[in-house]
Amino acid sequence: MLGMIVKEFRQLRRDRRTLALMIVMPAVLLIVLGYAASFDVSSISAVVSGPQAATAAAALHPPFHAVDVAPGQDAAWAHSQLRDGKAVAAFVTGARPQVLVDGSQLFAARAAVTALSSLGHSGGAGASASAPLAGAAPQILFNPELKTSYIMIPGLAGLVLVFIGTIITALGVVRERETGTLEQLAVMPIRPRDVFLGKVVPYFVVAAVDLGIVLTIGVSVFGVPFNGSVAVYALGALLFLFATLGTGVVISSVSQNQGQATQLALMTVLPQVLLSGLIFPLGSIAVGVRWISYVFPLTYFTEISRGVMLRDEPISGLWLPFACLAGIGFAMLVLATLRFRAYLQPAEGHKRRRAPAPEEATALAGAGERK
Amino acid sequence: MTEVLAECVNATRRFGSFTAVDQVSMKIEAGEIVGLLGANGAGKTTLIRMLLGLLPVSEGEVRLFGRPPSRQTRHEIGYVPQGLGIYADLTVAENLQFSRGVYGGPRQDYDAPAALRPFASAVVRDLPLGLQRRAAFAEALAHRPKLLILDEPTSGMDPLARARLWETVQRTTDEGAAVLITTHYMEESQECGRLIVMAQGQVVAAGSAAEIVGQARVIVVQSDSWVSAFRALDAAGLPVALVGTTLRVPQASRADVANALAGLPCRLTEAPATLEERFFELVRAREPAR
Repeated sequence: MLGMIVKEFRQLRRDRRTLALMIVMPAVLLIVLGYAASFDVSSISAVVSGPQAATAAAALHPPFHAVDVAPGQDAAWAHSQLRDGKAVAAFVTGARPQVLVDGSQLFAARAAVTALSSLGHSGGAGASASAPLAGAAPQILFNPELKTSYIMIPGLAGLVLVFIGTIITALGVVRERETGTLEQLAVMPIRPRDVFLGKVVPYFVVAAVDLGIVLTIGVSVFGVPFNGSVAVYALGALLFLFATLGTGVVISSVSQNQGQATQLALMTVLPQVLLSGLIFPLGSIAVGVRWISYVFPLTYFTEISRGVMLRDEPISGLWLPFACLAGIGFAMLVLATLRFRAYLQPAEGHKRRRAPAPEEATALAGAGERK
Repeated sequence: MTEVLAECVNATRRFGSFTAVDQVSMKIEAGEIVGLLGANGAGKTTLIRMLLGLLPVSEGEVRLFGRPPSRQTRHEIGYVPQGLGIYADLTVAENLQFSRGVYGGPRQDYDAPAALRPFASAVVRDLPLGLQRRAAFAEALAHRPKLLILDEPTSGMDPLARARLWETVQRTTDEGAAVLITTHYMEESQECGRLIVMAQGQVVAAGSAAEIVGQARVIVVQSDSWVSAFRALDAAGLPVALVGTTLRVPQASRADVANALAGLPCRLTEAPATLEERFFELVRAREPAR
């Protein structure tokens, strides 16, 4: 038995990635989760409109803080601000004062409702602390019953795509390397781009079908509304899939076997689950950790998915997540294609493009040698 | 004049400070079977990968069909790697269909050959190794390549399956293609019209099997005390091989052998060396330079 134990330790010592996964990852996850795992909302963004907007804004108490005060705007403007995700709450002053809360931001909305109750906006009672809004009961938009399923299912749709896009794709490509068929592809008169697209398109189709299934179940079984444009949603899903499939291919290109690919894919998927806003509100994640959220495509897709499905948010309001997804998707596609090209391009092609010194050429062929 | 399909001129390939292929020059002409012989690490696979265009040369030149390896030249090459390079989770027919999708050509060219037809619908991984290799051959040949490159094609196969594969190789050259083949089996190398022996990344001999063996001879030792004789020769550092109860000693003079045997009752004769013995002699001659 001792021999077996020693042998296992020796193997483990040489398997750097597994070792990192076993030792470094728990520490990293604990630190990140420690800062990220919070449902507490301490600050709620609000817009204030109507003739007495300035007075109402001045009277706002924490956790509310005004991000926009617009005396010349009305309730419709306030509604659009919430729809476009500019704020969680909107206070409309005037003849018919209103307090609007964005129910698609579940935890912030719950905190807002609690805070409003303590301020006296609990359904018709007087509001002495903020006279311009006296008598206004909070009206919860987009998710009136504050159902958890309404916000989880749009995000989970993205998670399904991450699993298929990253893990399954990474395994599918690395399998070619393990079985030696990637070398056969490298000998065939097939362009790197065609190999890449040929590998990715089937997973793309499967992921699209899966997305359809998840959305159908979400809408029909869980009653999640789909209020927005299917075309906008589809465009977001398309960009997101490019980003995740590209990530999968990049992972496969730096992995020698399926075990390594699975480990690496999990290292990218797990933090996405925890930091994308799918479970914990982005606003509750410590600033020092929150920046990591904005590296992950799932963060942007969750925003798009919830925005389109629950708030009927138009593409103009979602330009930033769309742009970020497009950027990540493009970067991943370029990186994945370059990695494929390094392996599949004819040797003379390498020479023509880069005219490498012998040492460079050696490094270039390293991918081929490591099959 | 016979068409030169592949040519290396002083082709050299380095990996850092290690030279895997060193100044190799060779030609492969249409219709010939060229055997590439060499011990593990001799540079055979690196040379093949350079010919296939998978590795750029560090120095020298590689030309396929008169031009540098490119995506166009790949249309004219069939390659069967040692690991077969076909999809084990597809059927034989599906593998051939994939090949047609890449290379194009008439559908009938991609039908499974007669011997494989009963297994066309079988998933490759469920077939015995011999049939898997035949399937890999069928795929590599379906687009009618001018040059077929085979890396250890009969490794792990039984003699009957090997014989059948060699029939296929012969048929391919009869149709005008050339075959470059690496093998560890010396008896198989007799099937090659021309052999190239590599050691330490260099070509150390080239020609027909008879030309390579040339005048090389071995000392044959016959003795009732063949076990003691073997020990004595081995202890003297001579490269002795046992064939039945007869000992064969290449690269040694009769006097050296007699001295090593130190009076043991033996009968010493000389015989022409076999290709295998000559191969070992060539490879061993390079070892001190390592």
